[in-house]
Amino acid sequence: MLIETCLQIWKRIARAALAATVLGAVLAGCASAPAPQSSTNAADYKGRAGTRTDGGVRVSAAPLSADESAAVYGVPLAKLRIQPVWIEVENREDRAYFLLSPGLDPNFYPASEAAEALSLGQPDEWRAELDRRFRKLAFHNPVGPGETVSGFVLTNLDEAVKPLQLDLVANGRARTFSMFAVVPGFRGDYHASGVFKRDIYPAGEVVNYTDDSEFRAALEALPCCAMNRNGSKKGDPLNLVVVGGLEDAFPALVRRGWRPTEQTWSGSVWRMMTSALSRERYPYAPVSDLYLFGRAQDLALQKARDNIHQRNHLRLWLSPMRYQGKPVWIGQISRDIGSRLTLHSPTFTTHKIDPDVDEARAALAEDMAYSQSLAKLGLVGGVGAATREAPRGNLTTDPYFTDGNRSVLLFDRNPVSLAEIEVFPWLALTR
Amino acid sequence: MVSADAMKALPSLTLAMVLALAGCATWQPPAEFNDAALRGRALTRDNQGLRVSAAVLSPEDSRSILGVDLDHSQMQPVWVEVHNATPRLMWLLRTGTDPDYFSPLEVAWSFHKPLGGSANASIDRHFEKLGFPNPIPAGTTHAGILFTNRERGTKLLNVDLLGQKTLVPFSLFLTVPEDDAASGATVAQDQQHVPASQVVGYSDLTEFRAAIERLPCCAQGPGTAPGDPLNVVIVGELEDIAAAMVRRNYLRDARAVDMGQEVLGRTPDVVLRKQTHARSSAAWIRAWRTPLSFDGRPVYIAQAGRPVGGRFAAPDAGFRTHADVDEARNLLVQDMMYSGGLDKLGFAHGSGTSGRGDGLRSVLFFATRPLSLSDVEILDWVRFIER
Repeated sequence: MLIETCLQIWKRIARAALAATVLGAVLAGCASAPAPQSSTNAADYKGRAGTRTDGGVRVSAAPLSADESAAVYGVPLAKLRIQPVWIEVENREDRAYFLLSPGLDPNFYPASEAAEALSLGQPDEWRAELDRRFRKLAFHNPVGPGETVSGFVLTNLDEAVKPLQLDLVANGRARTFSMFAVVPGFRGDYHASGVFKRDIYPAGEVVNYTDDSEFRAALEALPCCAMNRNGSKKGDPLNLVVVGGLEDAFPALVRRGWRPTEQTWSGSVWRMMTSALSRERYPYAPVSDLYLFGRAQDLALQKARDNIHQRNHLRLWLSPMRYQGKPVWIGQISRDIGSRLTLHSPTFTTHKIDPDVDEARAALAEDMAYSQSLAKLGLVGGVGAATREAPRGNLTTDPYFTDGNRSVLLFDRNPVSLAEIEVFPWLALTR
Repeated sequence: MVSADAMKALPSLTLAMVLALAGCATWQPPAEFNDAALRGRALTRDNQGLRVSAAVLSPEDSRSILGVDLDHSQMQPVWVEVHNATPRLMWLLRTGTDPDYFSPLEVAWSFHKPLGGSANASIDRHFEKLGFPNPIPAGTTHAGILFTNRERGTKLLNVDLLGQKTLVPFSLFLTVPEDDAASGATVAQDQQHVPASQVVGYSDLTEFRAAIERLPCCAQGPGTAPGDPLNVVIVGELEDIAAAMVRRNYLRDARAVDMGQEVLGRTPDVVLRKQTHARSSAAWIRAWRTPLSFDGRPVYIAQAGRPVGGRFAAPDAGFRTHADVDEARNLLVQDMMYSGGLDKLGFAHGSGTSGRGDGLRSVLFFATRPLSLSDVEILDWVRFIER
């Protein structure tokens, strides 16, 4: 009962604290932090955890829902947009491994920092108790030979679907694991059946290219631009080709801070995941839908910069092509440099994009060079040039100009150092 | 009550107003800029057939070259010239110079006037011309401006040049002109702290570890207060360490509070802070050059820490050190794994056992050769267990 009251008070206080109001003496009766709920069924998140094995290392991981994290930690972490990810590592190799939290989220929260944030204005006892609790729940490195270690890493909140990148480093060796996990409780009861496991193209439609010049020709024959829903208007230029999948391309994006946008999963990949797709939409649309292959983007990612207006956006569609067996994604990238009013969007606001779209394209290639996974890059034609003097427009009438090329980024699973990146002998790399 | 007709007419009225006003605003780009002054104070380095020269623009340079006033913005333009005498096409990786750099047209947009029309277009054209033009073909020289985030006093400029299966990194320590708030020592002073004759060189790892463990546990705090523990040792050429740190978004950023920590009788030689953009944590590293060297490379002793409150602290909360310095140290190690510069890692004793810390210092060895996650050698020193 006391716990419940404290929790109630806490909830109210958390709201007040978030509104930067002074905390009161209401707390007299509950000097220590509300206890975790022992009834929490850990079997839930452990049961739905994704598991991967490489060599002698097995990892399992699951992000917690808002309710689960409040129950496990005793405080409402989700209100501060903090999301614990439960991770278990079993090491059957001959050397100790270290789990690297920045791989999971470059802006992750140290346990002590999150504990502090949830103790703002609280008595010392509360603070000490939370600090101990958060520390105890954290994942503790290293994982020695023959050991199994589990614990939580505190990341920024992702709703619906969360990319999980687990990088483990040992002496002279690295094991890296990638998976996408569904977060329960945010957008209905989705089932986490392998996002990228099922083929959306019938086997007969898939073409695997092994010859570089044929691959280049196929890429250059793709449409210039994404379209609106009924295919009557051209949108942003398709200036990006990502070669790789869950094991190699996505780790690179996650390590460099690219996150799914709220509306990421409205496309066909989302439909593929679940037979019970909810049609509900978020009240605002951070990324508007663009269409290719007759469907909205399969994946939309963003990399936040200084503030809400400054972020880079990219959209990807899985194509029916393969290159040396790897999936080929066609996409579009732009740099948002501010917000502006528009009559072409239901929300009347849109991101103002940098009209030099080649700059955003080059910026992504450069960013990926630091991802440890970029193996090869190149440029092909296919977008069609547009000059500064006669720019083209996207669906929200943002002008853009381009040299007409698309950048091709090939990823590899094995860590690649900056000095090992190769260049396709295609078009000279211009910006 | 606005009639439905009037509502319908609104877009076209707005358009008419835009057209009417567009002609009013004008903006005159500065005359062709003379880079003589920039060249005069630029630092130049040569490596593997590449030459990089760079200088930070002063507020006066910004006004005369950019035609705008950047005094109150967080942007710091840097002029960079690259001469490529290699047989390869090379590419300057702007992300390596500043993971949060600004694009030329983004800077231009921030100076746009509402309904600026042709004036805005000429601002765009001007900034576009000024940006650094990638790539740099064999045998050519390219120069332009990179729009980075502001650093004070001395700017640590990392320039990573990428070619086919090649990366040539440069680190330049540039003076920020006309910056009265210059704080902390410059690198030139830093190098003078330890005369070559007093340097004790090591090449045996076991002996080196013993020497590290004999270094003082902690800094001397302000007055008689004990300082923060010295929980990190960094081995490497300053350029290599700088490249690794800058790639992970640590910028040179010394505050008054850092000057309260003294080791070997002096305040920190260099202070770096992880930038708080996009909600990253505001961790710091304060470092002092020691009279030790390992395989001819300098050795620094350092404090890794973060402020109480972290990124949730109020803006005026100050920089009191959070007690869990072990955590800050461990997270620095993890961050550096992704820097492409970490060669070896070990844990040694020596940072004292007062408080609740584990008393260990992490020892980070940096190399020039770009390294991947699977190249890091972990030394068989103290067996480290996170508590």
